[in-house]
Amino acid sequence: MTDHYDIAIIGGGIMGCASALQMAAGGMRPIVLDQGDLGQGASGVNAGTLSLQIKRVKLMPYALRGHHEWEAMGDAVGFRKTGGYTLAFTEREVELLHERQKLKAEAGAPITFVSNNALRAAEPNLTHKVLAASYCPEDGYANSSLTGQYFRGRLQDAVVPYREGCPVTAVARNAQGFELTTAQGSIWATRLLLAAGAWLKPVAAMLGVDLPVNARINTVSVTERMLPLTSTVIGHATGLLTMKQKANGTVLVGGGWQGRGTPQEGRGEVMAETVKPNMALAQFALPALAKARVLRSWTGFEANVPDFYPLAGALPGVEDAFVLGCVRGGYTIGPYIGKLMGDFILGREPDLPLFDPGRDFHED
Amino acid sequence: MTESYDIAVIGAGPAGANAALSAAKHGFRVLLLDEQPAPGGQVWRAKSAAILSAPATPESRAGKALRAAVRDSDVHHQGNTRVWQIERQSAGWDVHTLTDGQTAKVMAKALILSPGAREFVQPIPGWTTPGVIGLAGATALFKRDLLLPGNRTVVSGTGPLVFFVASEIRRLGGQVAAVVTPNTRRDWLGVLPAMRGRPDLLARGALWVADLMLAGVPLLWGHSVTAAQGQGSVSGVSVRKLDRNWEPIGGERGIEADSLCLGHGLIPNVEAAQLAGLPLHLRPELGGWVPEVGADGRTQIDNLFLCGDGAGIRGAAAAEIQGKMAGLNAARHLGADTAGAIAELQQSYARAARFGLAMTKLSQPRSGLSSLTTPDTVVCRCESLKQSDILAEVASGAGSTNAVKSGLRAGMGPCGGKYCQTAIARMIAAAHDRPEGDIPPPTPRPPLRPVPASALAGDFDYNDLPIPKPAPL
Amino acid sequence: MIRLVPDQSQQIRRAAEVEFTFDGMPVRAHVGDTIAVALMRAGHLHLRDAPQDDAPRGAFCCMGLCQECVVRIDGGLVESCCEAVRDGLVVQSLKVSAP
Repeated sequence: MTDHYDIAIIGGGIMGCASALQMAAGGMRPIVLDQGDLGQGASGVNAGTLSLQIKRVKLMPYALRGHHEWEAMGDAVGFRKTGGYTLAFTEREVELLHERQKLKAEAGAPITFVSNNALRAAEPNLTHKVLAASYCPEDGYANSSLTGQYFRGRLQDAVVPYREGCPVTAVARNAQGFELTTAQGSIWATRLLLAAGAWLKPVAAMLGVDLPVNARINTVSVTERMLPLTSTVIGHATGLLTMKQKANGTVLVGGGWQGRGTPQEGRGEVMAETVKPNMALAQFALPALAKARVLRSWTGFEANVPDFYPLAGALPGVEDAFVLGCVRGGYTIGPYIGKLMGDFILGREPDLPLFDPGRDFHED
Repeated sequence: MTESYDIAVIGAGPAGANAALSAAKHGFRVLLLDEQPAPGGQVWRAKSAAILSAPATPESRAGKALRAAVRDSDVHHQGNTRVWQIERQSAGWDVHTLTDGQTAKVMAKALILSPGAREFVQPIPGWTTPGVIGLAGATALFKRDLLLPGNRTVVSGTGPLVFFVASEIRRLGGQVAAVVTPNTRRDWLGVLPAMRGRPDLLARGALWVADLMLAGVPLLWGHSVTAAQGQGSVSGVSVRKLDRNWEPIGGERGIEADSLCLGHGLIPNVEAAQLAGLPLHLRPELGGWVPEVGADGRTQIDNLFLCGDGAGIRGAAAAEIQGKMAGLNAARHLGADTAGAIAELQQSYARAARFGLAMTKLSQPRSGLSSLTTPDTVVCRCESLKQSDILAEVASGAGSTNAVKSGLRAGMGPCGGKYCQTAIARMIAAAHDRPEGDIPPPTPRPPLRPVPASALAGDFDYNDLPIPKPAPL
Repeated sequence: MIRLVPDQSQQIRRAAEVEFTFDGMPVRAHVGDTIAVALMRAGHLHLRDAPQDDAPRGAFCCMGLCQECVVRIDGGLVESCCEAVRDGLVVQSLKVSAP
């Protein structure tokens, strides 16, 4: 029984790794298992936007704390606090922007509305067709590509074992806890945390639990290095655009445009039909982008449940099993809610409430 | 603007053009897409418009014949067109193209991929210096532009290509400083049986070598260039003898030159096949990672066919025949009775492939060649990443090409990893003591080639933007 | 000296010449030449400086894959090995010192 751990964490993304680190710091002996490489799911392929302007009102306290986590990780994850603008180009979008940003500001995000002159002074290359813009000085980005490298190092520093290329194919409950059948042999653990992102549904199904998890297939594209064009994170009132130019000059464009595929099939596929309007909108906002060549587009699975609030707590019906995922804005909030989850499993009272995975998902 | 065809063929080299011709003969509407202006591929590349006339070569004659055949056929050839995305749909395939800065979509019931090959170059110190070009790149200069790579050129690399390149330099009036090849004369003797089927090529190769010897060009068998010197341009190269495993042994000597052509075998272009959904397997004898493809060009997807060097490096003669079979199979998939015609080609294909595979075997790097890359050698040209950067990332736990790519950007630059991933995968395998077959190339990402944002945007109208239901507050 | 491979360089006829500029310097080329070829013939091998270390780079694969030969034309990056010259074309290198 050499391979017996206090807890096995299925899923080596931001949330799985952050919880593992918190639990290890609290004296537990965790192991992190990932079917692929650490941080190569949604944690590693999202657009890296850290924007309070696109966070849900009720999740704002989590997002604010998430921002602090990213800031503390700093250069190692490519963190930049640049400030961010959200743009409206039509009267309808102006209305939408005002209505939504007001509520987010009330929830604690330092969002203000800025004049066109102020916007042009800060971002002279943006289109002059902007009707209204909100600004949040806390906004910025990190480099999601560095997630795996970063957490691999953190786990090693904390002497937390992890296994990559180690899909879990079966889970059995026994008197000592759980026996996990994996591609690298059996692993025994007293407790289990499911943090498998878009793969939560099949993983929970191995324990006989049906989680109503769906996945969006978000598309991100990146250009080659360009001369400086923009220095902040740019968003759009509808949420159809996120854009930022990285320090190396590449411009990263997202906005939740959908590819196709399912997590079960293994990979999502980029669709030309959605990449094209995504890039068109980016170019509409930043006309000089027309000269840039797009080098890569890819997709990432963003998991959600019907009420779009997180799953964070005990897995219903299975003692000593927990689940964490489906966090809207999961990249921003992940490092923080991972810590909360770790505290919860350690038996401590979390600083902010978790989200009961056994709730009725249609009440919101 | 969307056009619809029975069959779309991507790549107009010997394989693709013959696939298109064969399918079109059976009455199907065939579109032949290619990034070059005229058919021919890399091997039978057409001359540029800047060449009004020049002496013919076997390559130029073969290309001319192919171009005439395409011109006289019902195949719709669309040159100067790059394919940037391939999507499988229920009724067939969507092929997204880029022509003159404009994107378009083509639909086809069946798709034939003939994406050809690119070159593997083992990184050596100085290989990023201007004046160092690929061996295959040099052939493009000769065939298209009739241009020399420099005034005094060292030609270094594996397989038959070094002798072709050296001979072309001589034909175009240039000076070959030396031919340096890891292969030994014994290696060449070993492939003579396989070459018996192609006495024409055997004779031609013998003539090249005899000419170089008569001209007093040093032929360094069992050697490699180990470094290129010079800052903004090449001033010379270093050469060392190799052991049987191609590990450098013995002292270094210098050769003065202002240019270096360097290459270590061809590798199949597999990205299009990956986007189309074909899994890859490591087949070193075919040049590296390739999809599973039948000799007759069929794949595991019933309306997808693959032929030519993109299915494994077997050379132009085999590519022509496999192309014909792929075209006939696509026609068969759409209802034509071509089974007999396909069967008739099998034997000549096997013969041509035997020769091609023998050349591939000569060209394939042996494991010692990796040691030409030193810690300070740039491996990823796009991001200027050195071998030491990559080894450090691998030592810190990155165990896949995807992990190295994410951590360092190796493969995220404009070439998309086309010139670094083979070397990086070998470095990961060696460092973690795992078989190379455990280290596949990174997840494929479209576009297959860089696409200007303006081309993707097209004539975008803001009012057409599909406004989604607002995200939950 | 006996040559088994004859020198055919004098038998090549090339198209009329045009002129373009590379970092402000005039370069002559034949109509139909690619930019990379015209620059190579004129001895301009160093086309850009690499990211990170600013090391000199030039055409490498000569077939539109490696992106080492990109130059700036009208604000956008272009593969010089695939783009034909035009009379009066203004080509800028991607050297750190480029004008």
